[in-house]
Amino acid sequence: MTTTSDPVRSEPDAFELALPSKTWVQKSGLDKYSALYLWAGFMIVFSLTQPQFLTWTSISLVLTEKAIVALLALAFLVPLISDTFDLSIGMMMGFSIAITTALAQNTGNPQALNAVIAVLACAAVGFVSGFIVVKLRVNSFIATLGMSQVLAAANILISGNRTINGVLSDAYRDFGRTKLLGLPLYFYFVMLIALILWFVLEQTPLGRYLFATGGNTDAARLSGLRTDMLQWGTLVASAVLASIAGLIHTWKVGTYSSSIGPGFLFPAIAAVFFGASQLKGRPNVWGTLIALYALAFGVKGLQLTFTTGTAWIEPLFEGVSLLIAVALASRQGIIKVPKRRKRDDASTSAAPPGEAATA
Amino acid sequence: MPALLKIEHLSKVFPGQVALDDVDLTIEAGTTHALVGQNGSGKSTLIKILAGYHQPTGSEGRATYYGNDPAGEPLELGDGRAAERDGVRFVHQDLGLVEALTTVENLALGDGFTTRFGKINWRANVVRARRALAAIGFESVDVKLPVGTLAPAQKTGVALARALLGWEHDAHLLVLDEPTASLPARDVRHLFEAIRRLKERGVAILYVSHHLDEVFEIADEVSVLRDGRRIATERVESLDHDRLIELMIGHKIVQGRSGAGPAGDEVLVDVRALHGANLHGVDLQVRAGEVVGVAGITGSGRESLLPLLTGQVPSSSGSVEINGHFVDNYSPGDVLRAGGAFVTADRKGLGVFALMSVVDNTTICDVGRNARHGRLDKRAERADAGAWIDRLSVKTATPQAPIGTLSGGNQQKVLFARGLRLEPQVLMLDEPTQGIDVGAKEEIHLLIDRSANEGAAVVVASTDTDELVRVATRVVVMRNGHIVTELEGDAINSVEIERAQLAITDRTGENSST
Repeated sequence: MTTTSDPVRSEPDAFELALPSKTWVQKSGLDKYSALYLWAGFMIVFSLTQPQFLTWTSISLVLTEKAIVALLALAFLVPLISDTFDLSIGMMMGFSIAITTALAQNTGNPQALNAVIAVLACAAVGFVSGFIVVKLRVNSFIATLGMSQVLAAANILISGNRTINGVLSDAYRDFGRTKLLGLPLYFYFVMLIALILWFVLEQTPLGRYLFATGGNTDAARLSGLRTDMLQWGTLVASAVLASIAGLIHTWKVGTYSSSIGPGFLFPAIAAVFFGASQLKGRPNVWGTLIALYALAFGVKGLQLTFTTGTAWIEPLFEGVSLLIAVALASRQGIIKVPKRRKRDDASTSAAPPGEAATA
Repeated sequence: MPALLKIEHLSKVFPGQVALDDVDLTIEAGTTHALVGQNGSGKSTLIKILAGYHQPTGSEGRATYYGNDPAGEPLELGDGRAAERDGVRFVHQDLGLVEALTTVENLALGDGFTTRFGKINWRANVVRARRALAAIGFESVDVKLPVGTLAPAQKTGVALARALLGWEHDAHLLVLDEPTASLPARDVRHLFEAIRRLKERGVAILYVSHHLDEVFEIADEVSVLRDGRRIATERVESLDHDRLIELMIGHKIVQGRSGAGPAGDEVLVDVRALHGANLHGVDLQVRAGEVVGVAGITGSGRESLLPLLTGQVPSSSGSVEINGHFVDNYSPGDVLRAGGAFVTADRKGLGVFALMSVVDNTTICDVGRNARHGRLDKRAERADAGAWIDRLSVKTATPQAPIGTLSGGNQQKVLFARGLRLEPQVLMLDEPTQGIDVGAKEEIHLLIDRSANEGAAVVVASTDTDELVRVATRVVVMRNGHIVTELEGDAINSVEIERAQLAITDRTGENSST
């Protein structure tokens, strides 16, 4: 956009984003692969400085620790693709945990049934959010923020505002303990969900319709798509994914406490936006996971380096890397505005003096 | 009368099109000067250069302004701020008001708030706003209401007041670009009253309009542009309607030359008593193989017909039957399922997915066609879209390039490909060649011919009379929300169409406020 200063501006109605020549950022891949660079950098630096870093113990720990956030990030990703925000996923996850544990505490239901009830309840809440967004025309950001607080209240009511502990059977908890090739089963489960989502979003017409809805909702509607139903559906999907994240948490930790859900929200959202700058230049499944794990390994390395008082590392790190990655990805969209001279040099002789216009 | 603004040798070239060709124009102080011409004659380009939106081409163009200095001083063309400083003010067709803000606030956006100790002095601002509106005869406007709640004429009044704010007492120039396009009759009277008051105070007015009766009523002088040249400047007393139309159109009569063959018998579009937006009951039948052109000046309903037909905006009553199916109101999907396809006038806002690839943009209406067992066969999809890219000779670096990187004409061809790929029985095109260059224009016209010859019913709404003459086998002309004239055969020529759409309008004021 900044190449030649043609005296003739483009036609008035033209909407042209001329392909700019590649900048150094693009040539180096820093715009689309910054997370991979970062990841590789961390692996090299920390494996040289920290002997425990490149061990299976710490690697498997990072992979499993972040599985729940990864799933929650995918829950945020699906509606975002159709230009819909779901900020209730953190509380939704807590809602799923509260239902599962409270039912185990207060009823004799089989725990598998409790889990199914939790997923259905979350889907119902997602359906209501969709109704509010699509039918009542409330902006999704606000609708899901409001729904988030409603869920917070529900969680308090369900749990009696207490931590629920030790109510889940060992058989149920075994889901979280069984390992395959050194990693817990649920890690593979999350990866399987990621694979399915990738397939749906990138390899099916439905995925294309979601991206089109997010790209230009009006044009998508005029292309015959039911954009309102698509957006509604994504909110149900995100609720179900968040409820599964909650189930995994019950397998892994087995405890409900009111602080569980919300803390997962920012890292999940950060991974999606950081990930959106990766690989494709739009939100995508693998970019999200790469961004998430690149940061997780960085945090792990720093935590090994500063052995005491490390709680501040994670949020600082997540925040700063999100800002840097998105800034790098935005560079190509920044229009450089050249200073305008009074007239092109070539024409000064023929032009009337321009003093009158200079105040 | 002494001159107020003298423009000399002004030219403007857009890629593939000369918009203004060595235009001279002199506006005398204290007069109302009308600027008329067909669409594409260069009126709006001239206004936009004055307003600083476009730069003139070449260096010959110059302007001299006598507003502040009787000896005249040069005015930089294409520098909107210099023009504004010298006292040239604009009211553009879309008015440019912020609907959510009150009149007081809208007035302050241009000229700043009156403050006291840094705090907005609301009382002083309200007084100033009332005074400004009263000065042009709009005392009735409640300046504390959001502008969005005002009647159309009141909005025009606010836009006028804003343009005039701060230089009420100087002799200057006010440019009005199609101020009446969406105003009902009694409101036009109101606007004219305001214009007369301004004139009494010595303000010169440059008045751009399609409504020739308005020109005769309000203007002292009229300049005619045709194909980017100034053809004539005359006192209005020395002209009549026929003479003015002749000046606008010229002696060349472009005769109909549609490439479509004879129409079939089957009625594929059947519109009955369609109401909604600014349509007040439209009936239209289109048969297979026919290309029906829809003509009409802005505000006539031409701009609403296809959005209503294709479900872009909801209609309030009436029925639309496409290919034998009654299509649901406000349902573009139903139009497509019935065998219709359409290209909207707003390419950027309603047409393209700017960041998605040319392939994705081509196939979006029916992605499933290339799916095998639920999975998209991307190779088949590329071949599918590639065939259309070739057939319409879309110029793109690669089929995977985002459509936003293509020129306007090529984007438009992709949107055509999107529609034609559905093999539609009915093709509805709104301003199909708006803002695209001459070469691409002819290619699109050939596509329209071909679709009709293959048996589709085609509807083309266009402000470009020559385009209608080129493609249509029948032209319907709209005025005041109705179809008022139908032209067929030899009657399809530029003169007849212009006459029909410019004929003295009977503004009965039926499209009242909001």
